[in-house]
Amino acid sequence: MKTSAARRLVGPALGVLVFVAVTGIWQLWAGAEDSFLVPTASEVAKRAWDVWPTSDFLSEVGQSMKRYAAGFAIAAAIGIALGLLVGASHAARRTLDPFLECLRAVPAIAIVPAAILILGLGDASRIAVIAFGLCFPILVNTAEGVRGIPLEVRDTASMLHVGRVERASRIYLPAALPSIMAGLRIAVSLGLVLVIVSEFVGEQNGIGYYLIIQQSKFDYPALYAGILFLGLLGYLLNRLFLLVERRVLAWHYRAAGE
Amino acid sequence: MKHVNVAGWLFVLLVTLLVETGVRAFDYEQKIATPSSTLRALYDALADGTLSGEIGFTLHAYLEGLALAILVGVTVGLLIGSSRTLLDASSVVIEFLRPIPAVALIPLAILFFGPFGIAAHRFVVVFAAVWPILINTIYGVRGGDRMLQDVARTSGVGRVGRLFHVTLPAALPSIATGIRVSAAIALVVCVTAEFRTGAGGIGDYMKDQQFANKLPKLYAAVVLVSLLGLAVNAGLRAVQRRTLFWAGEERSAQ
Repeated sequence: MKTSAARRLVGPALGVLVFVAVTGIWQLWAGAEDSFLVPTASEVAKRAWDVWPTSDFLSEVGQSMKRYAAGFAIAAAIGIALGLLVGASHAARRTLDPFLECLRAVPAIAIVPAAILILGLGDASRIAVIAFGLCFPILVNTAEGVRGIPLEVRDTASMLHVGRVERASRIYLPAALPSIMAGLRIAVSLGLVLVIVSEFVGEQNGIGYYLIIQQSKFDYPALYAGILFLGLLGYLLNRLFLLVERRVLAWHYRAAGE
Repeated sequence: MKHVNVAGWLFVLLVTLLVETGVRAFDYEQKIATPSSTLRALYDALADGTLSGEIGFTLHAYLEGLALAILVGVTVGLLIGSSRTLLDASSVVIEFLRPIPAVALIPLAILFFGPFGIAAHRFVVVFAAVWPILINTIYGVRGGDRMLQDVARTSGVGRVGRLFHVTLPAALPSIATGIRVSAAIALVVCVTAEFRTGAGGIGDYMKDQQFANKLPKLYAAVVLVSLLGLAVNAGLRAVQRRTLFWAGEERSAQ
């Protein structure tokens, strides 16, 4: 008991220590190298401190997050709805499976130019790309969750003549929720990638655009600061989602005896 | 042999025909390439060798990056996974680096390695692909049966022997899943990087077609790269089924 408690303290401390050591080595190495390619850790930190609170930077972040939220919401709606359909109905699965597999194989970046041509350079094309990319992990996980529902449950529902819509919303949806949340969790991280990818083409604004601009200005510390920000943002979004997931799935964890 | 899913492929055909007639009927060809013109462009570009060269370039960078990621991810994962101290020590650094979207590193890599080389986009591909493999390897190692380790130890099997004969085989199904996840991510990142670096490859080709406003050629490239993704995934699935038949299919630990 005592050793595990000690371990719980020493473990994270060791992790932090190694992190500090690595940052220190970076600082010393970059200082000795004295190349504009590798700014020192302190230089990057200072730049991040200067850049992050500026309204210019925050407005780019705001643009990106707006697209992220919209794309995520659309993908969740479509992914869950289609996932329920494909998971619940064998006929639907057989009919849609090859079509969805083909679409799923299309890399998000590949549809950006086409999306821009069809929907223009504004938000709509970016949001479409994000929604397209996020749709599939949600769909696949939802369908898998529904298919994992025990046959007795489904049979009982159909025996009691529970209607289709009610069956989907009151039985399939809650039962598949842990799996759906797993799909949404993948989408949380993937969404950030897709936001950047969608902003790489036909540059207008957003964090992806910000990175491209820093590249063309050879502003290394600002570029590092932007990347750092994205890492932090990804981490926070993930944490936030885990909190939500704990809440939403509290009944599930209780039932599972955790 | 599984029989072909007739209804499913008929549906694909139906959608294709709908798009074809819809685009023609509403005279939308300036914005969307019809499936027939896309197929013709795909055939032409493959026949005269322009597209096959580009896809070869992409495939080369992609496979090399993926191989490097597997090498690094599995080696480091085995090391970290088999030692509680190493796992603790590396945790913060990993948690810090992992959430960084690989595509965000593309501009930096271009500055770092120069724009028209293969190095920049290989670096990004490796960075993107290494995390699922690393994490799944660690999970696989830690999820292994302690009993097997103890039996091997008391039977006098050394550290190295245990690593190769007990730890690695037990972690293999999880590693395979990590590789499959990585293979999909790496392809997307690879094409995205080509889009920005202009070093060649299918992504670069797409950008050129976009600028030249050659829609059928652009769509042909999209079709080709998607087929590549399908083939890679199917190939890895088949390998996993054949070699790891005893484990069944596992879901990603991510």
